[in-house]
Amino acid sequence: MEVKILSAKFDIKDAHTLAVAKEHGAYATLDAVFAMEPAAVIDQVKNSGLRGRGGAGFPAGLKWSFLPKGLNKPVYLAVNSDESEPATFKDRYILTRDPHMLIEGIIICCYAIGCHTAYIYIRGEYTTQVKALQKAIDEAYAAGYLGDDVAGKGFQLDVTVHRGAGAYVCGEETALLESVEGRKGQPRSKPPFPAVSGLYGCPTIINNVQTIASLPFIMQNGAEAYKAYGTEKSPGTHLFGISGHVAKPGLYELPLGLPLMDVINKVAGGVWKERKLKAVIPGGSSTPVLTPEEAETTTLDYESMAAHKTMFGSGGIVVLDETVDMVQLVKNLIDFYHHESCGQCTPCREGLGWMLKIVKQLLRGEGTMADIDLLVELCDNIEMKTVCVLSAACTMPVRSYLNKFRHEFVAYASDRPQGIDMNQDKD
Amino acid sequence: MAEMVKLFVNGQEVEVESGKNLIDALEVVGIEIPHFCYHPALGADGNCRMCLVGIEDGRPPLVPACKTPVAEGLKVQLDTDKIKKIQRDVMELELINHPTDCPVCDQAGECKLQDYYMSYDHQATRMRVPQVLKGKKLDFGCGVIHDQERCVLCARCVRFTRQITKTGELGIINRSDEARVTLFPGRPLNNRYALNVVDLCPVGAMTSKDFRFKQRAWFLKRNKGICHGCSMGCNIFIDHNREKYKDDLIYRFRPRFNPEVNGYFICDKGRMSYHQENEGRLKSARIDHEDSPLVQALQTARRRIEASDKVLLLVSPNCSLEQMLAIRSLATEKGATISGYSDGCIQTGDADGYLIQDDKSANRAGLELLQIDTTYDFFKESLQRADTLVCFNNDLFFTDPDPVVAEKLKVLQTIAISTHETPFSRQAGIAIPAASYSEYAGSVINKDGVLQYFGRAVEKNVPAPEMISIARDLGATLTEPEALLHAMKRCIPALAAAESDQIPERGLKLTLSEAAHVTA
Amino acid sequence: MSDRSQLIFTGKPFQYDAERDAEFERLVKRYPTRESMILPALWLTQEQEGWIPAEAIAYIADRIGTFASQVYEAATFYTMYHLHPMGRNHICICRTLSCWLRGKQEIVDYLRDEIGLKPGQVSEDGKFSLEEVECLGHCGSAPVVQVNGEFHENMDVDKLKSLLAGLK
Repeated sequence: MEVKILSAKFDIKDAHTLAVAKEHGAYATLDAVFAMEPAAVIDQVKNSGLRGRGGAGFPAGLKWSFLPKGLNKPVYLAVNSDESEPATFKDRYILTRDPHMLIEGIIICCYAIGCHTAYIYIRGEYTTQVKALQKAIDEAYAAGYLGDDVAGKGFQLDVTVHRGAGAYVCGEETALLESVEGRKGQPRSKPPFPAVSGLYGCPTIINNVQTIASLPFIMQNGAEAYKAYGTEKSPGTHLFGISGHVAKPGLYELPLGLPLMDVINKVAGGVWKERKLKAVIPGGSSTPVLTPEEAETTTLDYESMAAHKTMFGSGGIVVLDETVDMVQLVKNLIDFYHHESCGQCTPCREGLGWMLKIVKQLLRGEGTMADIDLLVELCDNIEMKTVCVLSAACTMPVRSYLNKFRHEFVAYASDRPQGIDMNQDKD
Repeated sequence: MAEMVKLFVNGQEVEVESGKNLIDALEVVGIEIPHFCYHPALGADGNCRMCLVGIEDGRPPLVPACKTPVAEGLKVQLDTDKIKKIQRDVMELELINHPTDCPVCDQAGECKLQDYYMSYDHQATRMRVPQVLKGKKLDFGCGVIHDQERCVLCARCVRFTRQITKTGELGIINRSDEARVTLFPGRPLNNRYALNVVDLCPVGAMTSKDFRFKQRAWFLKRNKGICHGCSMGCNIFIDHNREKYKDDLIYRFRPRFNPEVNGYFICDKGRMSYHQENEGRLKSARIDHEDSPLVQALQTARRRIEASDKVLLLVSPNCSLEQMLAIRSLATEKGATISGYSDGCIQTGDADGYLIQDDKSANRAGLELLQIDTTYDFFKESLQRADTLVCFNNDLFFTDPDPVVAEKLKVLQTIAISTHETPFSRQAGIAIPAASYSEYAGSVINKDGVLQYFGRAVEKNVPAPEMISIARDLGATLTEPEALLHAMKRCIPALAAAESDQIPERGLKLTLSEAAHVTA
Repeated sequence: MSDRSQLIFTGKPFQYDAERDAEFERLVKRYPTRESMILPALWLTQEQEGWIPAEAIAYIADRIGTFASQVYEAATFYTMYHLHPMGRNHICICRTLSCWLRGKQEIVDYLRDEIGLKPGQVSEDGKFSLEEVECLGHCGSAPVVQVNGEFHENMDVDKLKSLLAGLK
């Protein structure tokens, strides 16, 4: 089932170096790209159907076309390498194993959108990765792929790595911009959208690493070649990260549209330790959980996920075996989002902390049935009342656990109805 | 006149000014949209989420009113169950970690959390887990005390120091519900407008060290006034109260919005100048350094003036226009010379290009309008010739007097009409207490030529006489309100042309030609 | 997060060494505003000192020409900035979803029970400090432990023992 589009060079020794990358085709698209009009590059990306791989799945070419024309301001590109959604680790492979694919993609994108200054925002935790990326950028500068005269095409482009320092919210595109500008990563209200007023008040495109890294393939092989993979509405491939209770966790490049359970069982080796499947988180921790029954009918594309009231997200699949205590898991989840709440909007700032304390109280055996209902209500009260979707990234999955595994929460309630045991689901 | 647009609020058509956001535009027509973080002087931040409103057929259907400009045909929903629930939910979340220590909080009675709780929440707490604990009574400098637990993190104070004073002392550190307003250690508030954060704070998180625990807000009477701290003429509220068995005292000045003068703010020095209205006052009349009944002092003063050949009247640039007119009529009546010299009020280099001015008097422009000479040369020359000096609240000791002047003052017959006990009043042959500006009504012209009226705020148990009535008792002829207004209209064509006899709320801007068009 | 407001003053003035000074000047040219240097400048400080003293925050603010409060905001918002000295070996254990599912707690428990090191603490000899951190992006090789910036994947107690033994 695996394909090798983005991951073509991942297993080639030293493919992170310019010399080896070039041997395997790096920067080979540039002659053709610079021979095209920028608008034609955008069209080709649009035609490929490439959707943003950061989580929201917004069509990349369409995003670029939102840039206002004829503004007397610089255009910026911000490459989102903040990759902080729990269960997501795909961009890391690109950064360390094939950084030149990313740099080539940046050149293509910048040429298409008329941008001469790009920033790569990389999460601070990626200590070794930032070094690898910077080394590749230095090599690209030395070889003339970046700088005043990109590949001898008379195009100027500077790329700067901007390091985050431990804030999940900076993966939100406007929080990322705030962070580059030297402030706390607190998302901005939209409108204005970054394409109109982004970095330093200028038109800005923000794309995920994987999105940008997909460009060389699309330009090299054409939109149709890319669309040959995946489904009609979700074309192409994706770097799926599979983690949790599977026998072979890891990163797998797969076309979109494969059955979720096939991927878990055939690619990732199935549930580990011959245990039973309890649930699947399909696209990173912020996506609503699927029961085994739901997982059976789910395919790995945006449409099927939406039909199952969950999301494709970042493609980070987490498999949960029968031993998982869903209340503990929800505590772990809320703990994360509470820790990462930027503190700006009242509902998220105050509400997530409250929810966390309620769950902890429940786990101590001091919570009540009313607390479970309160948790459900707080999910509703917080969700979509804030500037960004961080709070929703918490409440949407939490609500799914409360709905689909309510009995586990009830088992912790001190006033639970008689006959419900705290260990009823465990052998 | 701004362009108007028609929109719908809860299905009702309303006409509002274009170019404003929903909060400001609807406030004008009496529709409240609750909010904590938005402030017209600081712009929309959008963090509190209290102003979320529904937009029928809108994309998105839920928007922060602070960030939403009015638009023709917009269908705004404020009274739907959905919006009411959001308001209730946001209030609940604002309050879960709030200490609700209203009984000991100075903000009680003028607190947005209290007001909105009554209007939009009104439910019992469901908080059954421990609250987040943060810092209490932190001394931020400049007389500002901060309580991090009461704070709703609207960031008004932070934005004030960054956008208005550009001193940036405050910040919100940490994130999640550990976020809190604080200072970088060792760099406290250090600007001349810091106390405005107390007014800006919609809750009791920022309190004034000066005002803390002095009065409950609901006991205070609020009168409109004009700060007399400098020639800016900032608009203020004079908050005062007469406690049982005590005198009417001022407890604070607060800024009063006037876009033509001071905007939303006042300086700290002006704010704290209320103390001078309460303290250091000349309490009783004196004749030759002996306490005397007021009536007797006035009669004696009148006799001494009448017995003099060469009277010099020295009028303060802090006097109201009406007082100046009355005093000028006294000069005319007595054939006296009148001077407005008062160099001591000018502190060159103190002005900051914002509100604070070099000239620490409120109505120097009034002296100029009435062509009362303010030069030192004229004053000195007049003083040399004078045998009696009547000083209307003008303290010559602000600056070191010229030795010639000092020598003359020793031999001259002096009468001090004074609001405060000053070196001059102590030395004067007759000292007569006078009402200060919080105790009378009048008009002043600020440094930009804006004529402003202020009413009487404070009524002392034993009111000192108003300077106009003192002037009348000394022989002035122009002292009746109607006559004074008539005289003012003669000086100020713009006032004569105005439809009403009232000076408008935001003042009357005199043009240069009007100021020049002065009749003697 | 826990409160990070407490800064430590060393009592000594802070400044960059020659290498960091040059790096600061190189980086400042990459941005149209000096404020953009706040995060890089904090990183340079942490590289040089191992942590960020209060004096450095003031130094950065003054050098950039911004408010100390703004640098203080950034230093406390971004949790990777150490506002206190750490151990010679700083251990980060991922506590989030996938690492939690695959047994990060055993590693935390081992450090607590065998070495007496709890999350948020520095060992008495200054050799170790431990921090439980949020997702480190190594979910496919969970649990992951980061020591002095280096990642150690598929961690278990045995691997940890040999890892610790190799540290000075």
